Formats: sequence, C-alpha cells, structure tokens
Amino acid sequence: MAAEETTPVLEFRSVTIVSTSQLGASICEVDFTLAPGELALVRLEYGNEHTPLADAAEGLVAPDGGEVRLQGRNWRRMSADRQTRLRGRIGRVFQQHGWISNLDIVENITLSQRHHTTRPFKAILEEARQLAAGFGLQDLPEVRPSRLHQRDLRRAEWVRAFAGEPLLIILEQPLLGVPVESAPLLVDAANAARARGAAVLWTTASTPAWNDTRLSDARRYVMRGERMHEEERE
Amino acid sequence: MSFVGQIGDRALGGFRSANRIFGVICGMTLLSLKPRSWPRTVRNVLARQIMFTGCDALRFVSLVAFMTGVSVVVQTQVFVSMAGQAELLGPILVTVVFREAGPLLASFVVIARSGTAIATELANMRVSNEVNTLEAQGVDPMVYLVMPRVLGVAVSIFCLTVVFVIVSLTVGYVGGQLLRPGTSDPLVFLESLLKAVSRADIYNFLAKTLATGLLTGAICTVEGLSIEGSVTEVPQAATRAVVRSIAALFIVSAIVSLLTYM
Repeated sequence: MAAEETTPVLEFRSVTIVSTSQLGASICEVDFTLAPGELALVRLEYGNEHTPLADAAEGLVAPDGGEVRLQGRNWRRMSADRQTRLRGRIGRVFQQHGWISNLDIVENITLSQRHHTTRPFKAILEEARQLAAGFGLQDLPEVRPSRLHQRDLRRAEWVRAFAGEPLLIILEQPLLGVPVESAPLLVDAANAARARGAAVLWTTASTPAWNDTRLSDARRYVMRGERMHEEERE
Repeated sequence: MSFVGQIGDRALGGFRSANRIFGVICGMTLLSLKPRSWPRTVRNVLARQIMFTGCDALRFVSLVAFMTGVSVVVQTQVFVSMAGQAELLGPILVTVVFREAGPLLASFVVIARSGTAIATELANMRVSNEVNTLEAQGVDPMVYLVMPRVLGVAVSIFCLTVVFVIVSLTVGYVGGQLLRPGTSDPLVFLESLLKAVSRADIYNFLAKTLATGLLTGAICTVEGLSIEGSVTEVPQAATRAVVRSIAALFIVSAIVSLLTYM
C-alpha cells in the first residue's frame, strides 16, 4: 500500500513520438510525472492542437523513443490483457470522435463500467445521473450521439470521463463547444477527483482553464513546437 | 509482371487472405473459451447479433423455404410416386434439401442481409475512429466487435437452416398431397425422411452450417475492419465481404460434401 501511494500515476520519460497524419504534431523528449492527486495543465500551441499525448498516456501509441509508464509499469512491457484492464481505469474526454455511433448516450457513458466491472447497472446509471446533474445536464438522454447538441454532448463526455472513479483522467480540450460558465463545473469535478487520489492530465489551447484560479496548484506545461516546457509557478 | 507472375501473385494474395481469416477464427475461438471474454457488454452484442441475423431473417428464410418446398419437394414427390419409387423419396429429399439446398440457401440469405450490414457497420466505425475510442476505454475490438458477431452469425445460420429444412419439407408434403391426394401418409413420409438421414448427413449439416457461419462472420468483420479510413472504401469493403463469403460458402459446401460422402 505505501509503495502504491508514492508510485506516480503517469510518467513520461523522454518520450519522443514522430508525427503521422493520424497522430498530429510530433513530440520530442517529453518528460513529466503525475502523482496521485496532481493535475498537469498542458497549453497547446495554436495550429498544433492535435498531439499524441493522450494516446501515449494510454499506451495506444508506442513511443519512438523513451517510455510511458502507468502506475510504474511500462505500457510496452504489459500483456494485452493488463493493458485493456488498466485502460478501463482511465477516464478520457476525447478531442474529437469520442462516441460509438450505434450506441445511445447512456450506453456510451456506461460502456466502460459495464465492460470492466460487475457493478449493478442501476448503480452505474445512478452515478452517471449524479455526475450529469453536477455538470448542468438535466438528464441523460437515451438518444444517439448524432442527435444531441454539441454542448450537451461535450458535457456527457465529462460524465463518462469521471464515472467509475478512474485513477487517471485525461481531458483533451474539454471546454471546446461548451459555454464558458460551465468551466467551473469541470474544474470542481477535477479537484474532487484529485482529492480522492486521481491524477488529471488536462490539455487546452484556450485561456479559461489556463487562467482559472482554482487550478493554481496545477503543474503547468507549455508545448512549443515538439517540446514541452514546464512553467514556473508564481 | 508476367502473366504467370500475376497468377502467382493472386494465388499468394488469396493464400494470405485465407490465412488471415483462419487466424481470426482460431484466435476468436480461443478467446471465446475464456470466461473473462464474456462480460455483459459482449453478451449483449451476441444477443443483438442473433436477433438481427437469426430472428429478423426468419420470415424471409421461411419464404425462401416455402418456395423451395413448392418447387423442389412437390415435384420430387409427384414424380417419385408416378415412377412408383416412393421408397426413394426420403433419400432424394435428404440429399437435395437437408444436405445441399438448406444450408446453401439459408447461408445466402444471411450473407446478403447480415454480411453487408456487419462489414458496413465496422468499416464506418473505422472511418469515424470509433474502434480507437473503444480501445481507449479498454474494450478490446476483437472481444467486443469480432467475437460476438462471428459466433452470432454461426449460430443463426445453423438455426435458420433447421427452420428452412422443416418448412420446405412440410410445405412440400402438403403441396404434394394437394396435387395428388392420398399418395403418401404423413407418418410414412416422415419415416422415409428419418430413415434416409445418416450420421454422415448430420456431420455434413453441422459442418456446412457452422463452418460457413464462422467463415462468413470472420470474412465480413475482417473486411470491415481492414479499411484504411476513407469513406469511399466502405462500400468496397461490403462488396468484398459478400463476394468472398459467397465464394467461401461454395468452396466449403463442395469440400464438406466430398469429405462426408467419399
């Protein structure tokens, strides 16, 4: 137990990923560590918003150099079974294309929990409803994602990302398409998740999150070209 | 490339393709034997696949079976009784309907209805990055997308073929009685059929339905998931899936018939 508490949740050790059309921008020798309860805010460059940081954090793309570790384990050295199990403990807001189109919103949101756990569906749904209410959604509609307005769809993604108390939450530009007044709701949820020990990786190209005072204790990084630079806290 | 080279290239391509399909079937079979491969989400997909491929196709398969009964079974009954060879009725119907027409026609219906749907659905998921979304949530596409669809198609083809055989033989008998009343007692008809069914026929039936089902499911899922990501490839994947499934159907049918009755 003591070893788990000190083991970082996420580590990037000199990670280099050369760009392909799907991955977007390249990253070069990216180094950072996220301990339980920490939040890393990464400011993306305008015009280079698509980076492989989130995919690399989930072990979905193999680095061309360096290694990515989750809970101290190198993704590349894990078995496929362990990889899928660990990904079930990661919540993510996707930058784009984050929905399964032939499932409705409720099925999408509860998919990971229904797949990886034996929790009763009622309990999963109740948790999702509470999260939805916390994010200003009246209810979880049982419609296909294509039928939902973008602002509600984005907040439904927040619900999915925070459901099941994940150990790592990856937020890829989560405020895209969402009214500015909703931002504090997400910040509160992120801080609540941190309080119970989750680590949060938040990428953004916009200012509301970067300037939010409730994230003043976040570790801040800026992408300049392929490299990530840590900003000193004031 | 020379003409011979082109032939060789095509043969190698076909061999690689067949290798991949059999690899998928073997991998999927091993996966399906692990209890951990069957969380409720996967069981749900299997149930939906059987509903769509099997239950929803019942009406159409029954219609095709009805037509087969009218055209094949009735004529066989009539001509056999005219020739005074009533004892040949059972073996002929078992050969035509149970061994060949039933598995073939039921598989055709499934390929046309479900094969295209599966290939198109999975190809669209590739184009819109939904497969990556599943992987990012720790949902293995092999377990969630491929396995339940392949098994669902196999189970459905087996069940639909059983329905096909029952409907066509029943319709055929009734039709024959309407044309030439009193030519055959129903129990005699049934007895002649049951006597004509041998163990080899059962193996033949199982092999043609289950093997075809596994191949159809594997071909359609592989074709759907193998596109690179352009929307224009989606209909091409569906076409390839259907053509290759039909080719596999005929090849399996011929091989199984030869092996069973050699």
